[in-house]
Amino acid sequence: MPIQTSSLDKKKKIRPDGPGKVTGELKYLTDLSFPGMLYGKILRSTEPHAEIQSISTELAKQLPGVRAIVTYEDVPGLNGFGLIFPDQPVLCEDRVRYVGDAIAAVAADTIEIADEALQLIQVVYKKLPVIIEPEKALHPNAPKLHPDGNLLHRAHYSKGDVEKGFELCTHIVEGTYELPRQMHAYMETEGGVIVPEVDGNLTVYVGTQHGFKDRYQLARILNMNESDIRIVSSPMGGSFGGKDELNVQPYGALLALATNCPVKIHNTRRESVRAGLKRHPMKITMKTGVDDTGNIISHKVKIVADTGAYATLGPAVLDFAVEHAPGPYIIPNIEIEGVSVFTNNGVAGEFRGFGGNQVTFALEGQMDRLAERLQMDPIEFREKNLRQVNSPGPLGQKVAPTSGAKDVLEAIKQKLTNITNENDSLEKWKVTGTGVAISIHGGGLGAGRMDPAGGRLSFTSEGKIEVAFGFEECGQGLLAVIETLIMEEFHCMEDDIHIVIGDTDSVPVSGSSTASRATSMVWNSIQRMKDTFRSKILERATKVTGLPVEDLCMGPNGIWFKDDNLCITFVELAEKTLHEPFIKVETSFDFPTSPDAVVDGSHFLYAFSSVLAKVEVDLLTGKIKVLTLDQAIAAGPVVSLLGYQGQIEGGGIMALGYSLMEEAKMENGHYVNDNFDTYLIPTIQDVPFVMNVEAIEKLQDGDIYGPRGVGEIGTIAVAPAIVKAIHDATGCWISKLPVSREVLLEHLSSRGEKRWI
Amino acid sequence: MDMKEQAEVMTPPKMELSLTINGANYELQVPPTKRLVTILREELNFTGTKISCEVGRCGACAVQMNNQLVNSCLVMAYQANHASIITIEGLSGEELDPIQRVFLEEGGFQCGYCTPGMMMAVHALLATNQAPSEEQIQEALSGNLCRCTGYGGIIRAVQKAISNNNQK
Ligand code: FES
Ligand code: FES
Repeated sequence: MPIQTSSLDKKKKIRPDGPGKVTGELKYLTDLSFPGMLYGKILRSTEPHAEIQSISTELAKQLPGVRAIVTYEDVPGLNGFGLIFPDQPVLCEDRVRYVGDAIAAVAADTIEIADEALQLIQVVYKKLPVIIEPEKALHPNAPKLHPDGNLLHRAHYSKGDVEKGFELCTHIVEGTYELPRQMHAYMETEGGVIVPEVDGNLTVYVGTQHGFKDRYQLARILNMNESDIRIVSSPMGGSFGGKDELNVQPYGALLALATNCPVKIHNTRRESVRAGLKRHPMKITMKTGVDDTGNIISHKVKIVADTGAYATLGPAVLDFAVEHAPGPYIIPNIEIEGVSVFTNNGVAGEFRGFGGNQVTFALEGQMDRLAERLQMDPIEFREKNLRQVNSPGPLGQKVAPTSGAKDVLEAIKQKLTNITNENDSLEKWKVTGTGVAISIHGGGLGAGRMDPAGGRLSFTSEGKIEVAFGFEECGQGLLAVIETLIMEEFHCMEDDIHIVIGDTDSVPVSGSSTASRATSMVWNSIQRMKDTFRSKILERATKVTGLPVEDLCMGPNGIWFKDDNLCITFVELAEKTLHEPFIKVETSFDFPTSPDAVVDGSHFLYAFSSVLAKVEVDLLTGKIKVLTLDQAIAAGPVVSLLGYQGQIEGGGIMALGYSLMEEAKMENGHYVNDNFDTYLIPTIQDVPFVMNVEAIEKLQDGDIYGPRGVGEIGTIAVAPAIVKAIHDATGCWISKLPVSREVLLEHLSSRGEKRWI
Repeated sequence: MDMKEQAEVMTPPKMELSLTINGANYELQVPPTKRLVTILREELNFTGTKISCEVGRCGACAVQMNNQLVNSCLVMAYQANHASIITIEGLSGEELDPIQRVFLEEGGFQCGYCTPGMMMAVHALLATNQAPSEEQIQEALSGNLCRCTGYGGIIRAVQKAISNNNQK
């Protein structure tokens, strides 16, 4: 298997979509335009919770240039969507539950006219009490946001007896950790063009992370056959989980059908903030106890997640958080209870890390506080409790054996020895500190969930090796992964390959481009198809050339004889065998899951990370600067070096933002920050100038699962490492993100911390 | 205001706009307050220039106007009259610009949506300063947000462009 002995330089390839991106030639779906195209706009609620008493579109319809206005009355099929259950109205009829709820949509000749028409639509609301706190939503007297009440989902796991366990502990740490609502902030906001075709079919050019799922949901809404809808779903200018759920598609589709014209909708940033998903705010309480030698005995966890107004993937995010609450540690007594609760806040859903970020922040915070109590080195304390190669998964399930946890901790220990806490700054009011944290992160959708994968290889009449997957390119580098793996397997050149993705009319079912699964599933698919494909090609070459098949192999541009002589090019081979049946190999299978998982969604394949952070804290202003952010990752072999490094560094900086600056604050159900002038994400001035990523490629002997994806793992352990570094510098424990300068300063002054005087 | 008047409000008087984009001349009729980014993207189909915040905070729409780096979402038609604009489409000729090449080689992008604006900013920096320091690089690119890369690949690309320059 060539990728296991990776020569990294070879993998530092230019990605196939690169030239189009650096020249500006690549058309994103929001760059498209079609003849006769109209512009769509969506009217969203001004109220976080209200009854709709009336909707009047009469005035707006009279505005010259307005071509169609749709409301709930115009939804031919199911007026609802949602990846798990369709509880979010496409267009609200009698009630709104958050400020992103859609009430009407307009198609007009220009954006300005469409915007103006929105102003002319009259909606009469009767305000209802706004529920903004999950705790209050769970109160028996709270108004019910959905027929079954305000509890979206409860997840639970226990083993042993935590209370008895605590009796045996010499130290117990209990803390509550609060995590903010984070915005994905993909640079390309949601949008695209929906085109009605002459045969009555519909083509939807809008970014998503699972084209087939969009097709399924849209068919249900539009009351159309799935086969009459085509979804073209990439390229995208970023998604990070945020575009997996439907966004503008239903509105564009309804308007396109109503006008029989192509309709473009491209959210402004404000529209995107208001309607779009966010990361779940969570409040996590953990009580963790150790014996006097530092063995963790008991771990009790309570998670309360604010899922906002609708379900989307809320239940699965909670399951994931529950699963990862014990982390990579062996703990005999565990009790975890999680609830995900409806409120009138913005909808929270899928976001890179999927609940792991929140719970890892709490868990690693506990580990550092316990180590302090024990007066033990935090790394040694982690080592003592760390899972071993054959340990079961966090919830006791059988998992693929892995030394990842040990390997990442070992790697970061090495890095730690090279870093000093020396204050490089001459300014005496600045102090520095370092922190380390580790994480475990499951890949794939998990046990008990439909998680099909698959792919297709064919040899085209133009002499190309065509490789097709139902995945999307969000920016993560999927195309480079596919190209690299095909080149390594068949020793061919870039030009010999034709990649097809992101178009439901021409790709096989591969499942979603989520859950760090695409790279892993591409590799696995190719393993399943390669031998059959190769022998079919070589047999055909034998037929044409008359050379013995055992002397032939695939290579650059064609079929080679005894490794050193190109005997027929792929193009010639295709030309000479046009009459022969098409060579096509397909595979379909399921993402590997644990054979004995008892908790839905728990995983079989895991990746691991460790982070070393060094920060500088200005004791006068409370300003924190991250000087070092190095990560070690154990996720199997690297497929595409630049892609891997980019995912880890980019994920790391997204998490730096989560730690220090990002919060999509809501006040009484309204977003406070609606653009990049108030919602700040890291700029190039907020990041360490140099970051180091160490890839630990080793897999256990006999591991047949290949590379694990790295789309999420780089975001997980960053926040706890930064917060530990702040503690190291100042002695202040932070349990709420983003770190507040005020809290830090208050703490410093209350401790009389005026070291610079 | 009746509907007709309302419609007139939305179709304000137009001006004669004349400008040069990537060396070619364009004359068009647009409302004087129409933003340059919209003119580029919607009227002239220069979609390499992106749009993301529309308030001057992300740099996705950055272009060069009369040799100055500007956010085209903040420039109105009347301000661009008779100006010379270079967009990402005008950065390279037959061959890729050296900055484009280093971005490809070092992974200076992932989704690529910030990339046109980012490269315009790098171009503006290196045009005035052949060997910027770390601080100068950070300063010059601080108006360009990238959500994907964490800026690591961008920094390596810029450093490579500088060292390539020095070797010449
Ligand atoms: S779109 Fe112009 S600066 Fe963001
Ligand atoms: S590459 Fe995606 S925003 Fe920069």
